[in-house]
Amino acid sequence: MNPWLLFWLLLKASLFSTSGTGNLPILHTDLIAQGWATDHNFAEALAIGQISPGPTGLWVISLAYLVDGVRGSLLALVAIAIPPFTALGVHAVYTRYGSHPAVQGFVRGLTLAVASMFFVVLTQIMYQSGIDIRSVAIVLGALGLTYTRKIPVPVILVGAAIVGMCLY
Amino acid sequence: MAQLPRLRDLFRAWVGIGLQSFGGGATTLYLMRRVTVEEQHWLNDEEFALYWGIVQIAPGINLLGQTVLIGWRVAGVLGAIVALIGLLLPSIAITILITAAYATIRTQPLVVAALHGIIPATVGVGVILAIQMLNPPLVASSREGWGQLGVSVAVLVGAPLLLVLLNLPAIMVLWGAGICCAVGFWLLNRRGGAQ
Repeated sequence: MNPWLLFWLLLKASLFSTSGTGNLPILHTDLIAQGWATDHNFAEALAIGQISPGPTGLWVISLAYLVDGVRGSLLALVAIAIPPFTALGVHAVYTRYGSHPAVQGFVRGLTLAVASMFFVVLTQIMYQSGIDIRSVAIVLGALGLTYTRKIPVPVILVGAAIVGMCLY
Repeated sequence: MAQLPRLRDLFRAWVGIGLQSFGGGATTLYLMRRVTVEEQHWLNDEEFALYWGIVQIAPGINLLGQTVLIGWRVAGVLGAIVALIGLLLPSIAITILITAAYATIRTQPLVVAALHGIIPATVGVGVILAIQMLNPPLVASSREGWGQLGVSVAVLVGAPLLLVLLNLPAIMVLWGAGICCAVGFWLLNRRGGAQ
């Protein structure tokens, strides 16, 4: 595996997207095309990202570890630490043009596209992990519990792990 | 030299936020506001909200952008770097440890079975995450008018179709969606303003 290419793919995904999971669709296409990661790895990393502290965006650190060990996760650390500094430049521009309808529109378009492409990635993850009555029931259960906001997400995932151990 | 104690406070505060913020982005943002606005008085609520608006457009993880801006507000570029390192150090270390521990046991039958439960659950949580992301822009668009709602729904339906059917690169689809909405909203706004 070429570490420079891995670093560039991680940096590119973070530079051309916003929010913690905005890079998901980009990385999903790139790393799967390279044959370096599987849908399974993405699901594992997303789950660990939910359990570990800090921003959910740190799921990338976990993904890079699964792809390339400690070296990968350190590359990912640098790759996600650089783009946030562009906020300083955006700050200067935003205070002048932030209320312009084109700027507002751009942000909205980006958010809508990321969220809708999420469904594609989730469908592929689900398809790869196997769809049967048990897995569909777990999806619906987790969806319902998350929706109520009464139970923290890490607790839901631990619960799902126990359900998995009993059912499979 | 008055900088040094300031930087030390900054580092200590952000390490604390990084260590305590179990449970994802919402918890981290909540802690960040409590520590930086209420406890340290580094900035006020309005500035905090302004920064949060800015990092929605800036590249990268929003919470890290927010960290950079607040650190910069307190002690310049050095402050931004110190704050970011403070936040990332403990949370990255824990993330790597959890992943490493997981990687050594991932082939155990019991872990494989547990994953059969966790993966669909992650998908369920992800669906809610996507719906939560979709909700504010769709509500705002429907408030502004039929034109804006139309553009938004077209992007919403079009983006995944282009990704799957035409196999276009994800970056191209994302930025295409942003540009379509930027042009669309700008034109609609000009027409609305002219009436």
